[in-house]
Amino acid sequence: MTIFNAVDKFTMMSGDRVKIKDLLSSRLTECGWRDEVRLLCRSILQEKGAISSFTVEQLVTEVTPRARSLVPDAVKKELLIKIRTIFDENEADDIDPEEA
Amino acid sequence: MPTSAAPVPAVAAQSPTTRKAIANNFRELTKDPKKLDEAANQLYESLLEDAVTGIFIEVHHLRKIGNLSALDGVAEESAHRICDVPNLDIFGVSTAKKAIDCTCPNCDRLVAAARFAPHLEKCMGMGRISSRIASRRLATKEGTSASSNSSYVHSGANAGGTDDEDDVDWSSDKRKKKSTQNSRNNGSKKNNGKTF
Repeated sequence: MTIFNAVDKFTMMSGDRVKIKDLLSSRLTECGWRDEVRLLCRSILQEKGAISSFTVEQLVTEVTPRARSLVPDAVKKELLIKIRTIFDENEADDIDPEEA
Repeated sequence: MPTSAAPVPAVAAQSPTTRKAIANNFRELTKDPKKLDEAANQLYESLLEDAVTGIFIEVHHLRKIGNLSALDGVAEESAHRICDVPNLDIFGVSTAKKAIDCTCPNCDRLVAAARFAPHLEKCMGMGRISSRIASRRLATKEGTSASSNSSYVHSGANAGGTDDEDDVDWSSDKRKKKSTQNSRNNGSKKNNGKTF
Protein backbone atom coordinates (compact mmCIF):
# COMPACT_ATOMS: atom_id res chain seq x y z
CA MET A 1 0.00 0.00 0.00
CA THR A 2 1.40 3.36 -1.02
CA ILE A 3 1.62 6.31 1.30
CA PHE A 4 -1.01 8.18 -0.59
CA ASN A 5 -3.40 5.29 -0.62
CA ALA A 6 -3.11 4.86 3.12
CA VAL A 7 -3.66 8.54 3.83
CA ASP A 8 -6.48 8.79 1.33
CA LYS A 9 -8.33 5.86 2.80
CA PHE A 10 -7.77 6.93 6.35
CA THR A 11 -8.93 10.50 5.85
CA MET A 12 -11.93 9.28 3.93
CA MET A 13 -12.77 6.88 6.74
CA SER A 14 -12.54 9.54 9.43
CA GLY A 15 -14.48 12.07 7.33
CA ASP A 16 -11.66 14.60 7.44
CA ARG A 17 -11.19 14.51 3.71
CA VAL A 18 -14.58 16.08 3.12
CA LYS A 19 -13.85 18.75 5.71
CA ILE A 20 -10.53 19.71 4.12
CA LYS A 21 -12.06 19.61 0.69
CA ASP A 22 -14.84 21.97 1.74
CA LEU A 23 -12.34 24.32 3.31
CA LEU A 24 -10.19 24.32 0.19
CA SER A 25 -13.06 24.93 -2.19
CA SER A 26 -14.44 27.77 -0.09
CA ARG A 27 -10.99 29.39 0.15
CA LEU A 28 -10.46 29.06 -3.59
CA THR A 29 -13.82 30.65 -4.28
CA GLU A 30 -13.07 33.49 -1.86
CA CYS A 31 -9.77 34.40 -3.45
CA GLY A 32 -11.21 34.28 -6.97
CA TRP A 33 -9.11 31.34 -8.08
CA ARG A 34 -12.17 29.56 -9.38
CA ASP A 35 -13.09 32.47 -11.64
CA GLU A 36 -9.51 32.80 -12.84
CA VAL A 37 -9.35 29.16 -13.88
CA ARG A 38 -12.76 29.43 -15.49
CA LEU A 39 -11.55 32.42 -17.52
CA LEU A 40 -8.40 30.53 -18.42
CA CYS A 41 -10.47 27.62 -19.72
CA ARG A 42 -12.64 29.94 -21.74
CA SER A 43 -9.77 31.83 -23.30
CA ILE A 44 -8.08 28.57 -24.28
CA LEU A 45 -11.35 27.30 -25.70
CA GLN A 46 -11.76 30.47 -27.72
CA GLU A 47 -8.28 30.00 -29.16
CA LYS A 48 -8.55 26.31 -29.90
CA GLY A 49 -12.30 25.90 -30.08
CA ALA A 50 -12.17 25.97 -33.87
CA ILE A 51 -10.07 22.79 -33.92
CA SER A 52 -12.52 19.93 -33.78
CA SER A 53 -9.90 17.47 -32.53
CA PHE A 54 -9.32 19.53 -29.34
CA THR A 55 -10.45 17.27 -26.53
CA VAL A 56 -11.23 17.74 -22.87
CA GLU A 57 -8.07 15.78 -21.99
CA GLN A 58 -5.98 18.25 -23.95
CA LEU A 59 -7.63 21.12 -22.12
CA VAL A 60 -6.96 19.43 -18.79
CA THR A 61 -3.28 18.91 -19.52
CA GLU A 62 -2.94 22.50 -20.64
CA VAL A 63 -4.80 24.18 -17.80
CA THR A 64 -3.92 22.02 -14.78
CA PRO A 65 -0.29 23.17 -14.31
CA ARG A 66 -1.31 26.80 -14.73
CA ALA A 67 -4.21 26.36 -12.33
CA ARG A 68 -1.81 24.90 -9.76
CA SER A 69 0.48 27.89 -9.98
CA LEU A 70 -2.47 30.27 -9.70
CA VAL A 71 -3.32 29.09 -6.19
CA PRO A 72 -2.28 31.79 -3.68
CA ASP A 73 0.55 30.83 -1.34
CA ALA A 74 -1.53 31.80 1.70
CA VAL A 75 -4.24 29.30 0.77
CA LYS A 76 -1.73 26.55 0.13
CA LYS A 77 0.03 27.17 3.42
CA GLU A 78 -3.22 27.25 5.36
CA LEU A 79 -4.34 24.00 3.80
CA LEU A 80 -1.05 22.23 4.55
CA ILE A 81 -1.10 23.40 8.17
CA LYS A 82 -4.70 22.25 8.49
CA ILE A 83 -3.84 18.84 7.08
CA ARG A 84 -0.94 18.52 9.48
CA THR A 85 -3.07 19.41 12.50
CA ILE A 86 -5.68 16.86 11.43
CA PHE A 87 -2.97 14.22 11.08
CA ASP A 88 -1.67 15.07 14.53
CA GLU A 89 -5.14 14.88 16.03
CA ASN A 90 -5.71 11.50 14.43
CA GLU A 91 -2.44 10.27 15.82
CA ALA A 92 -3.68 11.08 19.29
CA ASP A 93 -7.15 9.64 18.64
CA ASP A 94 -5.81 6.47 17.12
CA ILE A 95 -5.54 4.68 20.40
CA ASP A 96 -9.27 4.93 21.12
CA PRO A 97 -10.69 2.71 18.35
CA GLU A 98 -8.07 0.10 19.04
CA GLU A 99 -9.07 -0.15 22.65
CA ALA A 100 -12.78 -0.24 21.87
CA MET B 1 -13.39 13.30 -7.37
CA PRO B 2 -14.93 10.44 -9.40
CA THR B 3 -11.93 8.25 -8.51
CA SER B 4 -12.27 8.88 -4.79
CA ALA B 5 -16.07 8.94 -4.66
CA ALA B 6 -16.46 5.23 -5.37
CA PRO B 7 -14.43 3.81 -2.47
CA VAL B 8 -16.28 5.80 0.22
CA PRO B 9 -19.20 3.41 0.71
CA ALA B 10 -16.80 0.50 0.38
CA VAL B 11 -14.67 1.86 3.22
CA ALA B 12 -17.69 2.50 5.38
CA ALA B 13 -18.94 -1.01 4.81
CA GLN B 14 -15.59 -2.61 5.52
CA SER B 15 -15.27 -4.86 8.51
CA PRO B 16 -13.55 -3.62 11.69
CA THR B 17 -10.42 -5.56 10.80
CA THR B 18 -9.82 -3.65 7.60
CA ARG B 19 -10.56 -0.42 9.47
CA LYS B 20 -7.90 -1.41 11.90
CA ALA B 21 -5.53 -2.21 9.05
CA ILE B 22 -6.06 1.20 7.53
CA ALA B 23 -5.53 2.87 10.88
CA ASN B 24 -2.37 0.84 11.42
CA ASN B 25 -1.07 1.79 8.03
CA PHE B 26 -1.70 5.40 8.81
CA ARG B 27 -0.08 5.19 12.22
CA GLU B 28 3.06 3.65 10.80
CA LEU B 29 3.15 6.50 8.38
CA THR B 30 2.84 9.14 11.07
CA LYS B 31 5.90 7.81 12.82
CA ASP B 32 8.08 9.18 10.04
CA PRO B 33 7.80 12.99 9.86
CA LYS B 34 9.29 13.00 6.37
CA LYS B 35 6.61 10.65 5.10
CA LEU B 36 3.96 12.68 6.90
CA ASP B 37 5.05 15.80 5.08
CA GLU B 38 4.90 13.96 1.82
CA ALA B 39 1.47 12.61 2.66
CA ALA B 40 0.21 16.08 3.51
CA ASN B 41 1.50 17.42 0.22
CA GLN B 42 -0.04 14.57 -1.68
CA LEU B 43 -3.37 15.04 0.01
CA TYR B 44 -3.29 18.73 -0.84
CA GLU B 45 -2.38 17.99 -4.44
CA SER B 46 -5.17 15.48 -4.82
CA LEU B 47 -7.70 17.90 -3.36
CA LEU B 48 -6.52 20.61 -5.70
CA GLU B 49 -6.82 18.20 -8.57
CA ASP B 50 -10.41 17.56 -7.53
CA ALA B 51 -11.15 21.27 -7.52
CA VAL B 52 -9.64 21.74 -10.98
CA THR B 53 -11.51 18.74 -12.31
CA GLY B 54 -14.72 20.22 -10.95
CA ILE B 55 -14.15 23.37 -12.94
CA PHE B 56 -13.33 21.36 -16.06
CA ILE B 57 -16.54 19.44 -15.77
CA GLU B 58 -18.45 22.65 -15.24
CA VAL B 59 -16.88 24.35 -18.28
CA HIS B 60 -17.25 21.26 -20.41
CA HIS B 61 -20.89 20.98 -19.48
CA LEU B 62 -21.51 24.64 -20.28
CA ARG B 63 -19.76 24.26 -23.61
CA LYS B 64 -21.62 21.14 -24.66
CA ILE B 65 -24.94 22.71 -23.72
CA GLY B 66 -24.02 25.89 -25.56
CA ASN B 67 -24.22 28.17 -22.56
CA LEU B 68 -20.56 29.13 -22.85
CA SER B 69 -21.16 31.06 -26.03
CA ALA B 70 -24.26 32.51 -24.45
CA LEU B 71 -22.17 33.75 -21.51
CA ASP B 72 -19.77 35.42 -23.91
CA GLY B 73 -22.70 37.25 -25.40
CA VAL B 74 -23.10 38.84 -28.79
CA ALA B 75 -20.69 41.61 -29.75
CA GLU B 76 -22.24 45.01 -29.42
CA GLU B 77 -23.18 46.65 -32.68
CA SER B 78 -21.42 49.90 -33.46
CA ALA B 79 -24.78 51.61 -33.96
CA HIS B 80 -25.60 51.03 -30.30
CA ARG B 81 -22.26 52.17 -28.95
CA ILE B 82 -22.22 55.02 -26.52
CA CYS B 83 -21.24 58.20 -28.32
CA ASP B 84 -18.43 60.10 -26.60
CA VAL B 85 -18.23 63.30 -28.64
CA PRO B 86 -18.56 66.71 -26.96
CA ASN B 87 -21.84 68.54 -27.47
CA LEU B 88 -23.56 65.28 -28.34
CA ASP B 89 -25.48 63.04 -25.96
CA ILE B 90 -24.85 59.27 -25.68
CA PHE B 91 -27.08 58.57 -28.66
CA GLY B 92 -25.12 61.00 -30.86
CA VAL B 93 -27.89 63.58 -30.89
CA SER B 94 -27.00 67.22 -30.39
CA THR B 95 -27.52 68.45 -26.85
CA ALA B 96 -28.30 71.97 -28.02
CA LYS B 97 -31.89 72.75 -27.14
CA LYS B 98 -34.12 73.56 -30.01
CA ALA B 99 -37.28 75.43 -29.32
CA ILE B 100 -40.43 73.60 -30.29
CA ASP B 101 -43.23 75.88 -31.35
CA CYS B 102 -46.88 75.07 -31.63
CA THR B 103 -49.45 76.98 -33.57
CA CYS B 104 -52.40 77.93 -31.46
CA PRO B 105 -55.54 76.54 -33.10
CA ASN B 106 -57.51 79.49 -31.77
CA CYS B 107 -55.47 82.51 -32.85
CA ASP B 108 -52.95 80.85 -35.26
CA ARG B 109 -49.99 82.34 -33.44
CA LEU B 110 -46.70 80.48 -32.85
CA VAL B 111 -46.34 79.70 -29.17
CA ALA B 112 -43.40 77.98 -27.43
CA ALA B 113 -44.39 74.47 -26.38
CA ALA B 114 -43.73 75.23 -22.76
CA ARG B 115 -46.01 78.25 -22.89
CA PHE B 116 -48.68 76.57 -24.98
CA ALA B 117 -50.93 75.35 -22.20
CA PRO B 118 -51.14 78.71 -20.38
CA HIS B 119 -51.60 80.46 -23.69
CA LEU B 120 -54.42 78.16 -24.72
CA GLU B 121 -56.10 78.69 -21.40
CA LYS B 122 -56.05 82.43 -21.90
CA CYS B 123 -56.80 82.32 -25.59
CA MET B 124 -59.79 80.03 -25.34
CA GLY B 125 -61.11 81.72 -22.28
CA MET B 126 -60.92 79.05 -19.63
CA GLY B 127 -60.64 80.05 -16.04
CA ARG B 128 -61.99 83.16 -14.43
CA ILE B 129 -59.59 85.95 -15.36
CA SER B 130 -58.71 84.50 -18.73
CA SER B 131 -62.31 84.28 -19.78
CA ARG B 132 -62.64 87.98 -19.28
CA ILE B 133 -59.54 88.73 -21.30
CA ALA B 134 -60.61 86.36 -24.05
CA SER B 135 -64.08 87.67 -24.21
CA ARG B 136 -62.79 91.19 -24.35
CA ARG B 137 -60.47 90.28 -27.16
CA LEU B 138 -63.28 88.56 -28.99
CA ALA B 139 -65.48 91.55 -28.55
CA THR B 140 -62.87 93.87 -30.02
CA LYS B 141 -62.19 91.45 -32.86
CA GLU B 142 -65.84 91.15 -33.77
CA GLY B 143 -66.18 94.86 -33.75
CA THR B 144 -68.67 97.02 -31.96
CA SER B 145 -71.24 96.68 -34.73
CA ALA B 146 -72.05 93.03 -33.96
CA SER B 147 -74.68 92.42 -31.37
CA SER B 148 -73.79 90.59 -28.17
CA ASN B 149 -75.88 87.57 -29.15
CA SER B 150 -74.28 86.94 -32.53
CA SER B 151 -70.79 87.42 -31.17
CA TYR B 152 -71.49 84.82 -28.51
CA VAL B 153 -72.53 82.28 -31.10
CA HIS B 154 -69.42 82.93 -33.07
CA SER B 155 -67.14 82.70 -30.07
CA GLY B 156 -68.78 79.46 -29.01
CA ALA B 157 -68.07 77.87 -32.35
CA ASN B 158 -64.55 79.21 -32.45
CA ALA B 159 -63.49 78.19 -28.98
CA GLY B 160 -65.17 74.81 -29.33
CA GLY B 161 -67.34 74.52 -26.26
CA THR B 162 -67.56 77.54 -24.01
CA ASP B 163 -70.42 76.63 -21.74
CA ASP B 164 -73.45 78.57 -20.60
CA GLU B 165 -71.75 79.71 -17.49
CA ASP B 166 -69.12 81.35 -19.61
CA ASP B 167 -71.84 83.04 -21.55
CA VAL B 168 -73.35 84.47 -18.43
CA ASP B 169 -69.93 85.51 -17.31
CA TRP B 170 -69.31 87.13 -20.64
CA SER B 171 -72.43 89.21 -20.79
CA SER B 172 -72.65 90.09 -17.13
CA ASP B 173 -68.96 90.80 -17.10
CA LYS B 174 -69.39 93.43 -19.76
CA ARG B 175 -72.19 95.06 -17.90
CA LYS B 176 -70.37 94.87 -14.62
CA LYS B 177 -67.25 96.29 -16.14
CA LYS B 178 -69.18 99.16 -17.53
CA SER B 179 -70.93 99.77 -14.27
CA THR B 180 -67.78 99.51 -12.21
CA GLN B 181 -65.93 101.75 -14.56
CA ASN B 182 -68.74 104.21 -14.34
CA SER B 183 -68.93 104.03 -10.61
CA ARG B 184 -65.20 104.33 -10.31
CA ASN B 185 -65.17 107.26 -12.62
CA ASN B 186 -68.03 108.77 -10.78
CA GLY B 187 -66.43 108.13 -7.46
CA SER B 188 -63.14 109.50 -8.52
CA LYS B 189 -64.83 112.47 -9.99
CA LYS B 190 -66.72 113.00 -6.79
CA ASN B 191 -63.62 112.52 -4.74
CA ASN B 192 -61.73 114.78 -6.97
CA GLY B 193 -64.40 117.31 -6.64
CA LYS B 194 -64.35 116.98 -2.88
CA THR B 195 -60.65 117.08 -2.39
CA PHE B 196 -59.95 119.80 -4.80
